[in-house]
Amino acid sequence: MAIKKIKTLYDVICPFCGTLCDDVEVDIAENKVVEVRNACQIGTKKFFSSNPSEHRYETPMIRKKGKLEPASWEEAIDKAADILTKAKRPLLYGFSSTECEAQSKGVELAEMLGGILDNTASVCHGPSLLAKQDVGQPGSTLGEFKNRADLVIFWGSNPVHAHPRHLGRYSEFVRGYFRKDGRNDRTIVVVDPRNTHTAQIADLYIQVKPNEDYELLNAIRALLRGVELDVEEVSGVPMDQIKELVNTLKTCNFGVIFFGMGLTQSLSHHRNIDAAICLTRELNDHTKFLITPMRGHYNVAGANQVFSWNTGYAYSIDFSKGYPRYNPGEFSAVEVLIKNQIDASLIVASDPASNFPAASARNLFKYPLIVIDPHETPTSANADIVLPAAIAGIEAEGTAYRMDNVPLRLRKVKDAPGESISDKEILEKLIEKVKEKRGE
Amino acid sequence: MAEIKLKLKKPLVFPLEAESITPDNFAGKSNDEIKKLVAYSGNEESTLGQFFNVSGKSGEKDELKIIIDGDISNVKRIGEKMTAGEIIINSDVGMHVGNEMSGGKITVNGNADDWAGAMMKGGELEINGDAGNYVGAAYRGYWKGMKNGIIKVKGKVGVESMLWADGSVPAKRFPTLICGSAGSFLGIHNNGGTIIVEGDIDRCAGADQIKGMIVVKGTAPKILPSFKKIGEVKEIELLNGEKITGKFIEYAGDHSVKKNHSVVDKKTGELNKGVNGRLYIAA
Ligand code: SF4
Repeated sequence: MAIKKIKTLYDVICPFCGTLCDDVEVDIAENKVVEVRNACQIGTKKFFSSNPSEHRYETPMIRKKGKLEPASWEEAIDKAADILTKAKRPLLYGFSSTECEAQSKGVELAEMLGGILDNTASVCHGPSLLAKQDVGQPGSTLGEFKNRADLVIFWGSNPVHAHPRHLGRYSEFVRGYFRKDGRNDRTIVVVDPRNTHTAQIADLYIQVKPNEDYELLNAIRALLRGVELDVEEVSGVPMDQIKELVNTLKTCNFGVIFFGMGLTQSLSHHRNIDAAICLTRELNDHTKFLITPMRGHYNVAGANQVFSWNTGYAYSIDFSKGYPRYNPGEFSAVEVLIKNQIDASLIVASDPASNFPAASARNLFKYPLIVIDPHETPTSANADIVLPAAIAGIEAEGTAYRMDNVPLRLRKVKDAPGESISDKEILEKLIEKVKEKRGE
Repeated sequence: MAEIKLKLKKPLVFPLEAESITPDNFAGKSNDEIKKLVAYSGNEESTLGQFFNVSGKSGEKDELKIIIDGDISNVKRIGEKMTAGEIIINSDVGMHVGNEMSGGKITVNGNADDWAGAMMKGGELEINGDAGNYVGAAYRGYWKGMKNGIIKVKGKVGVESMLWADGSVPAKRFPTLICGSAGSFLGIHNNGGTIIVEGDIDRCAGADQIKGMIVVKGTAPKILPSFKKIGEVKEIELLNGEKITGKFIEYAGDHSVKKNHSVVDKKTGELNKGVNGRLYIAA
């Protein structure tokens, strides 16, 4: 038996969740991932997903007579560029699971086309950004929390499952400079309607009624100001427990609220965050307090950064007048799809068909659909053109922003299979072709 | 009164952005000149004439009445920044109708989509059907929304109407919304706006209200815990001096906001409710 030569790469960044762990070790043999160390289960799975499988695209595909058939890059790019140049209201969506350089190319293409540009923040932490635009946001990098925080609140977030190593690296078990005893030096509070696994390891668990977080935040803010309330319970939480919580908040040395989609995507959406941010701001009259969203996709924070520095806006951008305009609810992907206001779309590193409301997914499939993705997804299975991508952070380099907006350099640990090339190169080819077709 | 009639030629495929439809822009122009005014559809710059038949005769802007027929539920920004004259819309209308208008009157004989009368500075917007979300609201990221003028909606207004309304009694600015019923977060971050609801409201009315008044003649499902009941009143004096009679329960709030006048006295621990925002619910 021939002995395989194994190459080990150290300090690899995990391109899965917003925690962006930077200490992963990957063993590669014959261009395959054979072992992953340090990453959590989901991160490990992502590295293994890059190995050859029937779900992986290796050549461009074009739908011919109702079936996706392999095609040459030349033909696929030509056809894709044709669709995009002819479109009067193309939608460019996705971008959160690829690297910043590709995202930047996406902005360039959207501007050239006069299209609508959106990223997945519009269905996850978009509300956080809306609130931030209304009332600001006191936050910091994760290292600060690790070294200083003695009170950590997870509100509507469940890191045990969604960001598994967050607890070990930054927020719960880890030893920090001023928190030498790790978990014992921190008080953990979880506010959630469900008794999650994160709640089960907390010191204080507050079970709030679903969709009533706003009322609870509102009561806490009033109590914090010394206002006595006329009610006995708020959102299913007895007044005694709320008062205990307020006391815990006021008396800590350094507190942080990590909030997730339990806040952004429940009934009051961005107003939950608005109130949570105002609470954080007001807590700084008593002690040091900060607030940070638990971003899901590993580079959704980067998508917001890149879109912002290119256009001034983080997501839901319309270029139809030649300059960027911003209005979630008017230019967000779900909205323009539900209202049937597009005539072609380009989806980059995302799977809206699985995540969007059925009505918008249906309208997505009504018009020419181009998908850039390494894998087969419900979206790509319905595409007219599929452009096979190398997996950013595993098969292509680039930059990604951690949930606290710290940029990190993604590594390439193996080659992409078949004819796959990076998202950035694909978008560059599209841009060139669109220019050519317009005679520029 | 001079009158211009616009009639939509054929159904729209994409939303049409027609901020050029205002008495200000039409004043003193021939019908051919009006047809050449810019409108945007998809990523193309086009003209009003492409989409509308134009008839009638223009005149001075104060005297000018624009009447629009045909299904324009997908036409946005009609009456944007208008200062005078009148627009009558005999259809449902798209987003941003009458946004930032400062004078004149718009009547919508149908429903209006989101952002009707957003950031209004004056004039009157009357909607004889329902209105979408963010009626008379501040645009994203603005801390100062509707400054003056009045919006009347026969039916329901959507969520977050009158967001960051910005009135001032000394400056005699009274941004006002009168509506049939309202969605949640009515008058959130209200800072001097007046809101009168003939029917019912949804949850979280007056959230983060600093000052201003919300009068509800119907019912409210639940009032935010940070609102304090003051008592029962038989008459309400609005910020502009007008009066409403009827039995109401008076609440002060929102007391969760730091930046308001609901000061807690350090010595007595008493709450000064005197100058705070108000919420009245029919008793
Ligand atoms: S916590 Fe997130 S970034 Fe870290 S290894 Fe797991 S999936 Fe990857």
